[in-house]
Amino acid sequence: MQTQGAVTTAPVISVRGLIKRYGDVKAVDGIDFDVMAGEVFGLLGPNGAGKTTTVEILEGLRSPDGGQATVLGVDVANGADSLKPRIGVSLQTASLYPKLTVVEVIDLFRSFYARPRPTEELINALELGERRNAQTRELSGGQRQRLAVALALVNDPELIFLDEPTTGLDPAARRSLWDLIRSLKAAGRTILLTTHYMDEAEILCNRLAIMDHGHILEMGTVGELISKRFRERAVHFDRIEALSEAELSRLPAVTTVKHDSDETLLYTRDVADTIGALLDLTEARGLEPQNLGVRRATLEDVFLDLTGRALRD
Amino acid sequence: MHALLTLTLANIRSYVRDRAALFWTLAFPLVFIVMFGLIFQGGGSRLTLGWADADSSPASAQLRDGFAAQSGLTLVETSRDDALDQMKVGKVDAVIVVPKGYGETLAATAAAGGGTPTSITVYTDPSRSALVGEVYQAVGTVLGVVNLGGRAPLVVPDGQTFQTENLNAISYFVPSMLGLSVMQVGIFAAIPLVGDREKLILKRLAATPLRRWQLVGSNVLMRLLIALAQAVIIVVVGTAAFGVQITGNLLLVAGFVMLGAVTFLSLGYVIASFANTEDSANGMTSMIQFPMMFLSGAFFQIDQMPQFLQVVARAIPLTYLADALRQVMVGGAAFAPLWTCFLVLAAWLVVCFTIAARKFRWA
Repeated sequence: MQTQGAVTTAPVISVRGLIKRYGDVKAVDGIDFDVMAGEVFGLLGPNGAGKTTTVEILEGLRSPDGGQATVLGVDVANGADSLKPRIGVSLQTASLYPKLTVVEVIDLFRSFYARPRPTEELINALELGERRNAQTRELSGGQRQRLAVALALVNDPELIFLDEPTTGLDPAARRSLWDLIRSLKAAGRTILLTTHYMDEAEILCNRLAIMDHGHILEMGTVGELISKRFRERAVHFDRIEALSEAELSRLPAVTTVKHDSDETLLYTRDVADTIGALLDLTEARGLEPQNLGVRRATLEDVFLDLTGRALRD
Repeated sequence: MHALLTLTLANIRSYVRDRAALFWTLAFPLVFIVMFGLIFQGGGSRLTLGWADADSSPASAQLRDGFAAQSGLTLVETSRDDALDQMKVGKVDAVIVVPKGYGETLAATAAAGGGTPTSITVYTDPSRSALVGEVYQAVGTVLGVVNLGGRAPLVVPDGQTFQTENLNAISYFVPSMLGLSVMQVGIFAAIPLVGDREKLILKRLAATPLRRWQLVGSNVLMRLLIALAQAVIIVVVGTAAFGVQITGNLLLVAGFVMLGAVTFLSLGYVIASFANTEDSANGMTSMIQFPMMFLSGAFFQIDQMPQFLQVVARAIPLTYLADALRQVMVGGAAFAPLWTCFLVLAAWLVVCFTIAARKFRWA
């Protein structure tokens, strides 16, 4: 429970000690989190982290092996049927009746609900008007995802689940989908989304949980997650084998040295000092750092710090 | 109810837009019927007549020679009872019986120059109208020679009807083909079903308030409609193009078509329960379809099969569906009584339904 001013609101989603096993593997291994009304909450993590399993338990598609999950005040383990009319779902792989048209698929899903939104309203909101009579197999990846989101909105749901909404999309289609999700956010919808894109999580989510191997490693707003670990900036350059980690960590103001595949990261309290010393060191060896740059720490750095590997791999 | 009907409509749309599925379930049986129809109709048909001479006079021998001289006509000389037995199972096409006293009456009528003509009895099966015509054409030709010179006819045919159990090939084949199509409509359901599961469509539906019975119900409804559409097409083509006469109750035909469709659909669900991919569903469907097709008596009669295959033939559902359809549609010889056919199909339905209900996975 969080207290916002004088008003206390119950969380829309409440997860406690949730466990799901597949054979010997614990896909979800005792996670806890709450999602509040009007919030966009992100589950961020690489493939196989347990994000989709978590979401599918909350959607009532899988039963948990342990712990408790409450969605809209309903225990998902035995109340999934009463929940389904109230939630909207977009699955990871959006492939829907390849031989039906956009309008036909929307009308099909409308028939499942007692009070569906008008077809035209959905088509306009999702900018599918030009493709309304196209069969879904003829749609582009972005259009298909927009249709999947349209289907998640058919019943005007209280809570929307978007599982990897932009995976596999080109940059323009991703941005258009982000705009769409931001407009849902602005309209006060509660959304749980999963992603393995840092930028997506940073742009869309009020709060997020970083997941790996079925655990939640860290949770909070983007700002909290970054500032909790990194008050520093990151100096980055292509990895130079000739420079030892010990040498690098002795450079002035450097707090941490990390290697992210073929890149070296120096987290520093003073960028100018560190870069100056780095250039002196490399020049003395007859080397030159390639692709040298500075940035503030990102979620990418948080994930690297938490797991020792890069999220995008 | 609205969801059930909308989903059924969506399934039918997907199906109709899938040209391959449409071909296999609607066009393919027709191609088969047309092909077989042309094979069986083409070429000069030979007529085989059972010849039962109860008179054994020179006059009857002369009449026999007259028939024997007709081209394309074969006589099988035997007793009346044996001739009719042979006709019943299709070894002869019609039977002619020359009654005792034929020769004497013929001579008396000829000497008197008139009076009551003598007769020979001709047994034909009215359900085979084309054949009946050919038989009477031959009889007319031969009797015309005998009657020539008489002012009044000396010999007239006494037409008798006799119901045979044997069918001409196309009449046998049309109901068989209907049974085959119904089987395909049912078990082919496995392929899109596994496809929908693979594409996570079933999972997406599971996240809506749609109930499983509505999902299964829409599938059943759609397959029933396709099976009935097939039945109409096959019956119409069979009667209009190949002169197959439907003698039985069409409602009973529809009833067996629907029972068969549901039975084979449940078998389709069993396949979908064990197949993980669309390809493996395809393979399993073929593996079940082809042996069933050839062992069911749809192409070859079961009593002509080797003994060990007959055992299999007696177990598979298509045997009973095709047999029931033959009995009801064209009055074919019964392999098993209708209620046995009904019970065997129902038993298969119960078994397959039970397996599918336990094993079918939605995601």
